Parts: sequence; C-alpha cells; structure tokens
Amino acid sequence: MIMATAEHVEHGFWTTYIFSTDHKTIAKQYLAQGLFWTLVGGLLAGAMRWQLAWPDTPIPLMGEIGPEVYNTLVTMHGTIMVFFVAMPILLGAFGNFLIPLMIGARDMVFPRLNMLSVWTFALASLVMLASFLVPGGAASAGWTGYPPLSAKAAYTGVHWGLNLWILGLALEFASFLMGGINYLTTVIALRAPGMTLTRVPLAVWQQLAAATLFLLSVGPLIGGAVMLLLDRTLDTGFYSPDLGGDPLLWQHLFWFFGHPEVYVVLLPALGFVLEVLPVFSRKPIFGYRWIIGATVVAAALSFIVWAHHMFISGMDPRLAMPFSVTTILISVPFAYVVFAMIATLWRGSIRFDVPMLWALGFLTMFIVGGLTGIFNGSAPADLYVSRTYFVVAHFHYTLFSAVVFGGFAGVYYWFPKMFGRMLNGPLGHLHFWLTLIFFNVTFFPMHHIGLAGMVRRIANPLQYDGLVPHQWLNVLATYGALCLLAAQIPFVISILWSWLAGKPAPRNPWNAASLEWAAPSPPPHLNWGPSVPRVYRGAYEYSVPGEREDWLPQDLAPIARP
Amino acid sequence: MMAHLEAEGIPGGITAGKVAVWWFLASEIMVFGGLITSYIVFRLGGSGWAEASHHLSMTLAATNTLVLLTSSYTIVQAFVAAERGGATALRMYLGLTILGGLIFLGIKAVEYTTEIRAGFTPDAGIFWSFYYTMTGLHALHVLGGIVVNGVVLVTEGRGVKNPHRVELAGLYWHFVDVVWIFLFPLLYLA
Amino acid sequence: MTSGKTHPNYTAIWLWLMALVGLAVAASFLPGGRTFAVLVIFATAFVKAILVAANFMHLRFEPALIYALVLIPLLFLVVLATALLPDFVWHSLAR
Repeated sequence: MIMATAEHVEHGFWTTYIFSTDHKTIAKQYLAQGLFWTLVGGLLAGAMRWQLAWPDTPIPLMGEIGPEVYNTLVTMHGTIMVFFVAMPILLGAFGNFLIPLMIGARDMVFPRLNMLSVWTFALASLVMLASFLVPGGAASAGWTGYPPLSAKAAYTGVHWGLNLWILGLALEFASFLMGGINYLTTVIALRAPGMTLTRVPLAVWQQLAAATLFLLSVGPLIGGAVMLLLDRTLDTGFYSPDLGGDPLLWQHLFWFFGHPEVYVVLLPALGFVLEVLPVFSRKPIFGYRWIIGATVVAAALSFIVWAHHMFISGMDPRLAMPFSVTTILISVPFAYVVFAMIATLWRGSIRFDVPMLWALGFLTMFIVGGLTGIFNGSAPADLYVSRTYFVVAHFHYTLFSAVVFGGFAGVYYWFPKMFGRMLNGPLGHLHFWLTLIFFNVTFFPMHHIGLAGMVRRIANPLQYDGLVPHQWLNVLATYGALCLLAAQIPFVISILWSWLAGKPAPRNPWNAASLEWAAPSPPPHLNWGPSVPRVYRGAYEYSVPGEREDWLPQDLAPIARP
Repeated sequence: MMAHLEAEGIPGGITAGKVAVWWFLASEIMVFGGLITSYIVFRLGGSGWAEASHHLSMTLAATNTLVLLTSSYTIVQAFVAAERGGATALRMYLGLTILGGLIFLGIKAVEYTTEIRAGFTPDAGIFWSFYYTMTGLHALHVLGGIVVNGVVLVTEGRGVKNPHRVELAGLYWHFVDVVWIFLFPLLYLA
Repeated sequence: MTSGKTHPNYTAIWLWLMALVGLAVAASFLPGGRTFAVLVIFATAFVKAILVAANFMHLRFEPALIYALVLIPLLFLVVLATALLPDFVWHSLAR
C-alpha cells in the first residue's frame, strides 16, 4: 500500500518544465531529445546513402567527402541511433511515462534521481554534439570502436572527437543506469493495491527486462572503455600486442554488452506491440505468463551469445560452435513471442487504427529480420555474410522494426494520453504506408548487395569491379532512404495539426483495459485523484463472455451478484 | 517542496532504498568484475607479471587492507549507533570511517608517487596498465564513498532522523571494501 | 530495516578479518609450493569477502532477490572468464 500525502504546491516555469521531477515531464524531455537526435541520425544516414549511390558527387550541404569523413558518418549514425534515439525514446520516454501510470503509482519511487538521469542524458548529448565541433571531427572508428583503429589518435586522425565519444557514452550509460534502478525499484515497491506482478502489463515487464539487461551487461564495457581511453591518453597497452595487450579483448568486452544491448532496444518495443495487439483485436494477449517466461529465458540467453558478432575476428575457432548453438537457441523464445502475437490476432475483431498498423508492421518486418538472423548466427554461413550488407539488412529489419514500427505504435497509441490531443488519422495512415514501403525499398536490396560481396563501411563501392554491376541496388536503396526520410513529414504535420487544431482526447479513446487509461488525458501531477486506483484483474480482459462491454478495465470493481 | 511519497515496504521487509542500492551494486560488480576478469585471463596467459608486481609495496598495501577492513567495521558500528539514536557515537564512528578512507587514499598516493618516480608509469608494461586502472578506478570509488559518508555525517550527525541512510551508505562502503579484498591478493600477493 | 534483529558480533568478524589478512601475507612468504600459497591467499580473500557481505552487509538476513543480485552477476562473470580462456590463456591455433 502506498501512502501519498499530496500538497498543492505552486510550481513556477522552471520547476514545471525544466527542472521537473514529474515522470511525465521527464518522459517528454527524453522524447524531445530523442526526436532531435533522430533528425541528426537520419540526416547522417541520408548523407551516407547519397555517398554510396553517387560516390564522386558532392553531398548536399556537405560537399565532396572522402573515406575519413564517411567513417565519421557511419560511426555517428550508429552511435546516435542506438544510444541517443532508441534508448531515450523507447526506455527513457515511454518507460518513464508508462510505468507509474500502468502500475497505479503517483510517480517513480525516486523522482529526484529521475530528474538527475534526464539531465545527465542532456549532458551526454552536449558532449556528443561537442565531439562534432572539435578539431579532427567526431569519432570515426565505427559505433563498435574497435582498436587498434580507436586506440591511437594517429590512426584515425581524430583526437578529441573520439575521447569525447567515450565520455559521452559513459555519461549516457550513467543516465540509463540511474533510470534502470529507478524503474526496477518502482515496480517492486509502488504497485497499487491489487496490482500483483501477474497483473502488471507486458509493456512494464519488458521495460524491467530491458533495464535488467542493461544494468548487468554494461559493466564490462565500462571497464573496457576506461581501458580504451587510457590507451588513447596515457599510452597504456591494453589493446596493443606489442605492449602485451590484445585488440580482441575489446571485442569480447564490447559484444558482451553489445548483444544484450540490442535486446535492451528490442524489448520495450515488443512491449508496446504486446499492448496494442490485444486492444485492437478485442482479445486478451495470448499466453501472458509464457511471454514473460520467454522474455526471461531470452534475456538470460542473451548473455551467452555475444561471440556470434566475432566469428571472423580471429578469435579461437573452438568458440564458434558453442556460440552458434546458443544463438540458434535464443531464436526459440523470440519465436514464441511472435507466435503469441499471431495467436492474439487469430479470430480477433481487428480494428485497423493507426497504432495497430504500426504493430502489424512491426510483426511482419521483425519476422523478416529474425529469419536472416538465423543465417548470421550460424558460424559457417556467417563466415560468408559477416561484415557485408547482409548483416546491415538484418539489423535494420530488426532494429528498425523495434525503434520505428514499435516506437510509432507506442507514439500513436499513447499520444492522446500523453498530450491530451488526438493525432490526425489520415496523416497517420499516410505516414505508416509510406514508411513501410520505403523502408523495404531501402533495406531489402541490402540483402542482395551484401551477398554479392559489398562489405560494410566502404565509402565508394565503385572501386570494386565486382560491385559495379550491382550498383543499381545501392542507387535504389538511396532513393528509398531519401523517400523514407520524406515519409516522416506527414508525422511532423500531424503533430503540428494536433497542437493547433487537434481534438481533445477522451480519457480512453481506444477502450483499453490497462490502468493508464483510467487516468485523465493528460494525467495531472501525481496522476490520480485523492486515492490511487484499486486493481481487480489483469490488463487484457477483452471480450469476456457474459459481459456487456467488450472490455473490463483493471480498476473496475466487480459487481456483486446475489 | 514536492509531495512526499513513501514506499511502505516490499515483501521481505526490505525498503525501496535498499533494493535500489543493491541493484546499483550488482551493476558495479559487473564493472569491477569485467576489469578483474580481464586482468586474470591476461595474467594467466602472459608472462612477467609476477616480476612486475614485486616492485609494489606489499607492506603499504597490507596496511591499506587493514585500514579499509577496519573502516568497514566502524561504519557498521555507526549504523548500530544510528539505530539506537546515539548521535555522538554515530559522529565518532562515521568520522573514523571517513578517516580510514582518507588514510587509504593517502597511502595510495604515496604508492603511486614512489612507483612513478621509479619509472613505473601506466605505460611501462601491461601489468602496470592494469594496476593503475584497477586501483585508480577503485580509489575514485573510495573518494565517492568518502563524500557520501560525509554527507550522511552532516545530515544525521546532529540528531539521527534516518538511520536507514547510514545503512545504505554502509552498503556502498562495504562493497568498495570487498573489491579491495580481491585487488590486494590479485595485484600484490600472487 | 534490520532493527530488532540480533546483530552479528561485528567485533568478532573484524578480528577474523584482521587475522585472515595476516594469514594471506604470511602465506605469500611460504617457501615451497607456489600453488599452495596462491590457493591459501585466494581462499582467505573469498572468506573475507563472504564475511563482509554476509555480516556487515546483512546479506544473510535479506530476501532471495538480494542474493540473486549478487550471485547472478558473479555467474555472468564466470561465463565471461570462461569464454576468454581460449583466446587469452589457451592461445588459439592461429597464434
């Protein structure tokens, strides 16, 4: 039980909008920063694609670029998308907004720690921005930062840019460590009366799993990053063979974190889709407990698959088979979740509202990405496709599904609750279809060109005679990418439209059963009125036989029948 | 001042603050554990490490180990005092803990100065790279703990309002101690 | 909160810790088997750590979740160490 003594406090501008401890405001601060970085990351991708399609032509707003600058584009695109777009939006914004509302709490258990975490993230963002402006430019050793290239400034020509990259990531890690601790402790401590763990919505379970994965996997990389920084600044030899070190150590430490990290990005998005599908099928989620079990199994397995990123690194070949086995195993729990999603839809009363479109887009695109994962995860096949665009296709089909399709499912679904306005329906449909089409135009050709031998991180494919006949695939992908960027314009217009002329959102526009819909749209400070709700059932009671309505809210008291 | 949120407790009688600190410590286990694991595998696979470690002062490090273990003892006594509401005893024990931390850092400073003057800089060899990184990161954590203990001393030393804070500060301090319990033999004794 | 529970005898634990440090230092001067000395030294380290964790950090009084927060990271570190052995200790075929 929670005791909350609410006092009416006057908040000025600064404590309401800038230095707020309210989880909903902090969520919006994360969202705003994430959207800013989406623009930066997307433009970097546009520049990359332009260079790849037309290598000897100047890029608009940039001029002609050489391989070193291209390396910077590649590096910062990856770093920004994973750490400054996916994490702040999926975890920072949605985790913060949803967790207290979905469990019936008034705020996170540590509101000031929450504020510290979003401000630490802002500092991390500033450091990353600064890295673009220092002499030598921003980091250019790949988002994976492999030594020896990353260990000595002379190898990349980038001095402070890479040091700031390391520092910026360290701050980002600190921000999400704080956030993760807050999320986990909040769900353990602040659930409303009746909100047992098995009544907590799957979106919250996925946030917890992601937070746990991050908390337990980032440590070795922090150690490794300290070692890299010292190699760069104090000439230590952690990663230099002639000084007694080994570059392979970095790869192990990086991917020990790097693999759980991709699930840190994926799981929250899975959570959003798992919330949306039941609502727009008017059916309970299929296999709620088994989905939680599968998530836990996948999370545990994610710690023992990492070397599938290293099959061609020169590591001991005896590691290839065990890591291939564990990688194939990890497809099983995720396959279960996908089947559960399909089973939820089966014979449901499907409504094709915009959030549902995005959720279905996630499901289909993620299946494609997951299938290519099987090839990448088997060492013999991976020997051929590793470091090619086949891998780029794989991780864009999976990550893009999560961040964009899953992310927009969440945005369109919860926008009314967050901002108290509805988004424009037709624009939302346009946004979805254009994104779906141009996403595939951009990334599907990469399977082909990867198999044809185009390796990653090269600035000019035409320097390889074997790739010249396949260059049309690069051009096609670039047109797709530019159109994909343009396809986001309907979304921007929709936001503006909503702000200027949008309908006020009702409390529960989707007739959804989970607890956040019991609060007003948007919820006031401290979320609930004089007392927090009491919970009587799980979050997915749709089309219950014998009930008049096709949904039962979690906080609706059962009617006593004589 | 914002509304006061009180978590009454979670099954098991444990508080939210304690859950949070333990989650934090779990992540810290991975940080130091990653470094220590790397050190161990490198050392097992390399040569010349034992000779390099002979240049370290085992006496100073053993002293530091005794100091840090004693400071763990004093901070747990500080918690006992806090539970009883004894502000004077609390101030004494927390003060001793902070003093222990400062002595630890002082001795480390002496060590570093001696070693660097003898030419054993971080880039003098892979053993030294690991030595400075591990003990340096540890020393930063000791410094952080001193600051935390100082804050608790200020807020609880005038009259004990929240003994729980002393316990939480103690948990962090003990963790820093446990890391050193392993660093000492790994670097100095083996 | 742990008030109301009987505390461990913190002073006794502290004396044991001091003794174990002494034992480890003495073992490092032992003539003869280096392996035995190393075993003694690391055994004392583990015992000291367990004494501090169980008693000073009150682990023996805490619920299972807290134990898990200590044991699971240690398990992951064992996994990491095991996977690093082929490349760094058992030097691979390519070297």
